[in-house]
Amino acid sequence: MKPVLLIAVNFVREQRWAILVLLLWVLVLAFLGLATGAGQQREDLLFVFKQVALYVVAFSVFFGSSAIFNDRRSRRILSVLSKSVGRRQYLSGLVLGISMACGIYGFALGLTGSWTLGEAGFPASQVWFLMLCLVVACTLAGSVALMFSTFMNPFFAAGATAAAMALPAMIGYTTRSPTWEYVIPVYQLAATVLRSSFDSPGTPVWSPILWAIAETVAIWLLSVRIFSYVDIAVSVE
Amino acid sequence: MDFVLQFENICKEYRSFWSRRHFRALDNFNLQVEKGEIFGFLGPNGAGKTTAIHLAMGFMRPSSGSGRLLGERFGHSGTRRRVGFLPENVALYPRRAETLVRFYGALNGMKGTQLDRRAGQVLEMVGLQDDCKRNVSRFSRGMLQRVGLAQALMNDPELLILDEPTSALDPLARVTVRELLLAARAAGKTIFLSSHLLSEVEMVCDRVAVLHRGKLVRLGKTTELLQVGERAEIAARGIDARSFPGAVAEDGRVRFYVPAREQRAAMERVWSLGGEIISVNPERRSLEEIFLEVTADSGAHRAEHMS
Repeated sequence: MKPVLLIAVNFVREQRWAILVLLLWVLVLAFLGLATGAGQQREDLLFVFKQVALYVVAFSVFFGSSAIFNDRRSRRILSVLSKSVGRRQYLSGLVLGISMACGIYGFALGLTGSWTLGEAGFPASQVWFLMLCLVVACTLAGSVALMFSTFMNPFFAAGATAAAMALPAMIGYTTRSPTWEYVIPVYQLAATVLRSSFDSPGTPVWSPILWAIAETVAIWLLSVRIFSYVDIAVSVE
Repeated sequence: MDFVLQFENICKEYRSFWSRRHFRALDNFNLQVEKGEIFGFLGPNGAGKTTAIHLAMGFMRPSSGSGRLLGERFGHSGTRRRVGFLPENVALYPRRAETLVRFYGALNGMKGTQLDRRAGQVLEMVGLQDDCKRNVSRFSRGMLQRVGLAQALMNDPELLILDEPTSALDPLARVTVRELLLAARAAGKTIFLSSHLLSEVEMVCDRVAVLHRGKLVRLGKTTELLQVGERAEIAARGIDARSFPGAVAEDGRVRFYVPAREQRAAMERVWSLGGEIISVNPERRSLEEIFLEVTADSGAHRAEHMS
């Protein structure tokens, strides 16, 4: 477990500037929200909150699709995998790292959302539930991107991830069959955030979260299987 | 026999994803490295040395054949805890040298005071004790190579696999590394050393293998490979060069070769002529000569590839 944690912390550290910029963005918006009067423009405030919340899903895809590529291109992966670290542990570390990076963002957004939206009358407990949905969605999206990046370059991996997340949702929407949304429930989790409002903050529904966690584990297992066949020392250029 | 590293009929082919071209980096490669030796692994660029090392470390899978590292199949992560590896191009995360070697030690399961103490020790061994608080991103290539060596030594490995460990080092640092390798051998460790610095290899290696175009073309004890035959070189002064057939005079010395069985008689003849013996050595070739001989067609081969 320790190598997994070390790789995860190392990943977060490598991405620290991207995370800091995201955190700064959240803080600036929160202060703007408070300064402009949260109670009077509460619908605008909720709209900005949702928008900022969904950015991190896109970031998790970027984190996931580029993590292995960056380590292989710089050849730093050789020093890590020359230790008693299996490829399974390496991938687990990256998934945990993506989760931690998005968790930090989710925590900051939850904290600032509780102040600003709380001032406007939005229940704080619902803010934290939405953040949980968001972090789980990010972990799943990051895992899918990581899985694709084990055999694709980051650009194609990000595109494939976007398609894998969007297609089932689109099919579900056109066929009016909600079952499709469970194929990769990132959209469903994101929609929980998007659909929340002051009038109906909603009651926490746990099934998409549990389903997303189960899928993350399944995709991680698939990634491990694929990655075990990859020649990591071969140039990725 | 105790083998710490074994390659058994290994072939490795690189295939292009888009085209049907493929390149065979290793061709039915067999090699055994014994416990407690310093093994020199030589070959021209593109011979397949790094591929062989990467297969042993489990970074890639062989196209066919198999191999064992410390008794376990290649790719067994637990075994790597007992191995130290220095890659050809050292690439490290931008951290302080001390933090970095601690990170790599921790990845190998080290912790607590053992980790702290060993980090200090290895940085001192490679001469970086004064720079341990500096970020490695500001290090020169030679210093990076020394940090790379430090991280490879962190777990006090049974087997050290070093890919060009001294290529970026200054002469003083090379001597330090050479002493480190000899000390490691004395402590019972095995060292698998890939290098282009043939003089270094000649000085420290017990056995040498030469790889060429993915095939093993020469393998043997260094002393035996360097020994040419049953002749001795005698250097003397105070005699006429014409006294011995084939003798060469230079800088007031006369050098000539005699069959080993006639060595004593030749020496007595020098003395009887009023001369003085300076040295008597068995005839030897340098590793460079052997290397050039067995890889003689590589230049032509490279030109063929480029055209």
